[in-house]
Amino acid sequence: MEAQTEILTLTLKDQLRVLLRLLKYTLPFKGLIALCVLMLVTSTVMGVMTPYLVMIFIDNYLTLSYFPEADIMWLIIAFIMVNLIAIVTTYAQIYYLQKLALKVIQQLRIDTFEKVGNLGMKYFDKVPSGSVVSRLTNDTQAIVDMFTNVLGTFLMALFMVVSSFVMMFILDVKLAFIALIFMPLIILILLVYRKYSAKYFSHARALLSDMNAKIAESIEGMKIIQVFNQEARLQQEFEAINESHYKYNMQNIKLDGLLLRPAIDMIYILSIIVILTYFGFLSFETSVTAGVIFAFIQYMERFFEPINQVSMSLNIFQQALVAASRVFTLMDDDRLEPAQNNEGTGQITDGVVEFKNVTFSYDGKNDVLKDITFTVPKGTTTALVGHTGSGKSSIINLIMRFYEFNQGEISIDGTSIKSFDKQDMKNNIGLVLQDPFIFYGTVRSNIELYDSQMTIDKVQWAADFVNADSFINKLPNRYDEKVTEKGTDFSSGERQLLAFARTMAKEPKILILDEATANIDSTTETVIQTSLQKMRTGRTTLAIAHRLSTIQDADEILVLNKGEIVERGNHDELVKLNGIYFKMYQLQNSQQ
Amino acid sequence: MRVFKDLWWFFSSEKKSYLIGLLMLILVALLELVPPQIIGRFIDGITMETLTVNTLFMFSGILLLVAILAYIFRFFWRVMIFGAANRLGKLLRKTLFKKYSDMSPTFFGKRRTGDLMAHATNDINAVQMTAGQGILTIADSIIMGTAVLVTMAVTVSPKLTLIALIPLPFMVILTSYYGSVLSRLFRVAQAAFSSLNDKSQESVAGVKVIKTFGYEKDDLKDFEDLSEDVVNKNLKVAKVDALFDPTITLIIAISYFLSIFFGARMVINEEISLGQLVTFTTYLGMMIWPLLALGWFFNLMERGKASYDRIEEVLQTKSGIGTNFTTRQLPKGDIVFDIDQFKFDGSDDSALTDISFTLKPGQTLGIVGRTGSGKSAIIRLLLREYDTDSDSLISIGGVNIKDIEISSLREKFGYVPQDNFLFSTTIRNNIAFTDPTLNDKTIHKAADLAYIHNDIMDFHNGYETIVGERGVSLSGGQKQRISIARALIQSPDILILDDSLSAVDAETEKAILANIKKVRSDKTNIITAHRMSAVRDADLILVMEDGHIAERGNHEALMQNNGWYQETFRAQSLKESLNDALNDSLEGGRD
Repeated sequence: MEAQTEILTLTLKDQLRVLLRLLKYTLPFKGLIALCVLMLVTSTVMGVMTPYLVMIFIDNYLTLSYFPEADIMWLIIAFIMVNLIAIVTTYAQIYYLQKLALKVIQQLRIDTFEKVGNLGMKYFDKVPSGSVVSRLTNDTQAIVDMFTNVLGTFLMALFMVVSSFVMMFILDVKLAFIALIFMPLIILILLVYRKYSAKYFSHARALLSDMNAKIAESIEGMKIIQVFNQEARLQQEFEAINESHYKYNMQNIKLDGLLLRPAIDMIYILSIIVILTYFGFLSFETSVTAGVIFAFIQYMERFFEPINQVSMSLNIFQQALVAASRVFTLMDDDRLEPAQNNEGTGQITDGVVEFKNVTFSYDGKNDVLKDITFTVPKGTTTALVGHTGSGKSSIINLIMRFYEFNQGEISIDGTSIKSFDKQDMKNNIGLVLQDPFIFYGTVRSNIELYDSQMTIDKVQWAADFVNADSFINKLPNRYDEKVTEKGTDFSSGERQLLAFARTMAKEPKILILDEATANIDSTTETVIQTSLQKMRTGRTTLAIAHRLSTIQDADEILVLNKGEIVERGNHDELVKLNGIYFKMYQLQNSQQ
Repeated sequence: MRVFKDLWWFFSSEKKSYLIGLLMLILVALLELVPPQIIGRFIDGITMETLTVNTLFMFSGILLLVAILAYIFRFFWRVMIFGAANRLGKLLRKTLFKKYSDMSPTFFGKRRTGDLMAHATNDINAVQMTAGQGILTIADSIIMGTAVLVTMAVTVSPKLTLIALIPLPFMVILTSYYGSVLSRLFRVAQAAFSSLNDKSQESVAGVKVIKTFGYEKDDLKDFEDLSEDVVNKNLKVAKVDALFDPTITLIIAISYFLSIFFGARMVINEEISLGQLVTFTTYLGMMIWPLLALGWFFNLMERGKASYDRIEEVLQTKSGIGTNFTTRQLPKGDIVFDIDQFKFDGSDDSALTDISFTLKPGQTLGIVGRTGSGKSAIIRLLLREYDTDSDSLISIGGVNIKDIEISSLREKFGYVPQDNFLFSTTIRNNIAFTDPTLNDKTIHKAADLAYIHNDIMDFHNGYETIVGERGVSLSGGQKQRISIARALIQSPDILILDDSLSAVDAETEKAILANIKKVRSDKTNIITAHRMSAVRDADLILVMEDGHIAERGNHEALMQNNGWYQETFRAQSLKESLNDALNDSLEGGRD
């Protein structure tokens, strides 16, 4: 059995650190916290009043069979008032606590999301997108549960325990002190419980996620499993994890049974024995009233009930801390996107792109670009050609500031690309990606993206410009047509055209094209080529081409190999050179 | 309640656990009745000044005994009832996993992985809750509720019991009303959370586009709006959710008031003692949980029922491939295909028409053709992922493959799929997939034959390297070669390479095919390919087109044909030599 079990437990110190950092998020909501505490205090005070009123009634009137109407009326009114206030404040306290939790998590989520936006591509290269999403949603949700269930329970428990104790002290100091001896015992039980349950619980959880991973993988690879007749073996392997998950769960059940409610309930009865014995012996010496005994027992119960609830939420609490520590790890990640210096000094006017002796490496060891120098003059097209891994995409990644470079200089109109205002630069550089990512929304929202200033005329103009209008106009709702997840309703060519329109709507001065490798249906192919031609006209263009036929008219073609420019010139010159370009050209022609 | 009937088989198989558990619950309920009685008598003893040291010790002794016994019984009913539910979870997981292993590709084609996963996780969880907490809540409600009610009526006063209970039904009505409102609001809140989820997913997936346009801030604004929406919808939930506690407080307070008001009169009239009144109010507090549990119980049952139905639906689905076999004997001999027509389920177009050929042991069959021409359909039928109708016959050694027990049939095949699925475990375990006990020598030999041994040795952990998300990511070619090693290791009678050389270069392809030829001269090979070079040495090559055989023969014969094969072969050869030339000059570029 391969041990894939990944167990996430935090040390007590880590837990404290994470908790403190979480609690810092509550600081901006001082007013709300104050309101919560006020309501909580009022409702607990009202809660302890009821047994006190009953005590007064029993001792001062009932035992004496003395019922002056006015006094009883007052008692009844007091009882009703106390309970009404208790009801209102309990409601307010629960509601505001939830509100606090939701607000805190909202801020945490927004901060996490903002952080994700600031992370550089080198982060996204390494971290699977699923786990980033999981941090944003599932983990933050686990923290919501902690705030609403656990923190609420803890706070209420604290107030209940304290207020009950205060009342006990008011009723009988000595007995209250005696009752206090149960406190260390309860704390001890909870500590022992925490120690073992943290272990069993995290084991059981890890095994469960192993099992789920196994099921998911088996569903995906069922065909292989069946063809190789391995159903029985995999069932056995699954069975082994299932069995050990069962065992850890049983341990949990036993541990809960030994140390949680049954134990606390037992201690409660023991405390009653202490109360009765104390009052019993006291009654032999002086008089003891029934009301005090009644009230004391009530307070004792109020003392134990919250402890039960707290102990049950300990596990949720620990899971939430683990989730929170994962969120904080993301927030502390330093793989940020490249920063701009002295924002806003440069202006893009002509769109002349220049690379000067640029050397670049993703990992700091292997250079993927070596001493690259070239210029794309205003309004001309430069094409990048080469095999996978030759460095074409890296050139684009650097211009787009997806990655930081430290050797050489890249400039636009003579100004380093590090010195432009980020937004201004991106407005002037239009990149058409290989994979035309389509967002959930409408055709129109996919063209304008977040530019709410864009008029429908502009959207239509852009679509028209790239010849996307013909397919859009055939849609039942035209520009308002709903686009489903990742645009699966459109053909790959149509998606490509939408991405073109999206770029052209910004009317960029510089155009960067990363041609799709995937085959596009031949009907749209012609349309796409015409559109590309049109987009390039009069615009400084840097194009990665996989099909050489599409860039034959480029002003300059750079042939890249292993990070170096090995051939340069226009199509005719390169063909005459009879080098790599010519061979690639022949190869591609043979495929037609 | 129907879910209990559905689960009856389990309850009766766990009769002992449930009966002991229920007995323990009853004993706990009875024990819980004792302390209020003792407290009442104690108070009476004090007020009437009849308390003695002896009775005091007796009271303490009884309470101590109750405490210890209740502790023991509480522990054991948990182990019994929750333990049984835990076993149910285990059993269902096992059964479902086995069921999934028995299902044909048709089954997986019709269902989404997410749904199948949900059955194995959330649904099993809900059913397990039903068999654990569900049983507990209903048993506790009935046992505790009745016990407390009877004791209140018998030991204190039936009249007072009736009066005190008047407000309690309102609690049940109100809380179950809140419950239904809540579940509606909760769904709305859940939907808002889903949108937030989708938004995050999209932003992360589309991060490059967003960065390209520099829209990080606007994207954040969008996210902020959505999370604001999540907060608002959850606040609506909170508004109703927060009603539960105050409502219970209110109803209990009314009950309390009624019992003290009327109880006090009865004390004055000497119908009951003061101690009895205290006992009574304590009992009243003990009624809250059974009533709450009742509301909770119906909720649990509803969810359990829905989940159990979904699991049952899967378990009742028949495996697509028939199990009425007549032989477990491994057939030897010619593979004969004689198919008039074959259609996939739910498709009107025939995937294959008039496919007939015979393949002798030791021969190699090559199948080529465009994507969708029917190459894979032939393989899928041979592997019995689908069955043909009665007009068609596929036989091995004269035995119809439908008559062979499925795992015996599968034992004959070594299969290398198109998609190179590898499991996220070590490379070693992936190659030794059919038998993890195989020794290193055998594994290395298979890897060597598949031309992957050296690649593996280059990895830091060699054969112990973990594949997939948690380990190294392999190239397509490496995955294909590991898949080939996995199939070769068992030296199967029939080796099937289903377009599984597409990601390796021409030279490696040549080497692997030579290895296969060398070690498998007496065995049958079936190779489908896009590259004609992969089937060049085959004894029989079928050129597929739209589901029928367009050309057939060996390489030499097909080259005479002037058909698609010849044309494609020539084009690919030319491309190959050009590619070689290009690679030479690219390599030359290195200093």
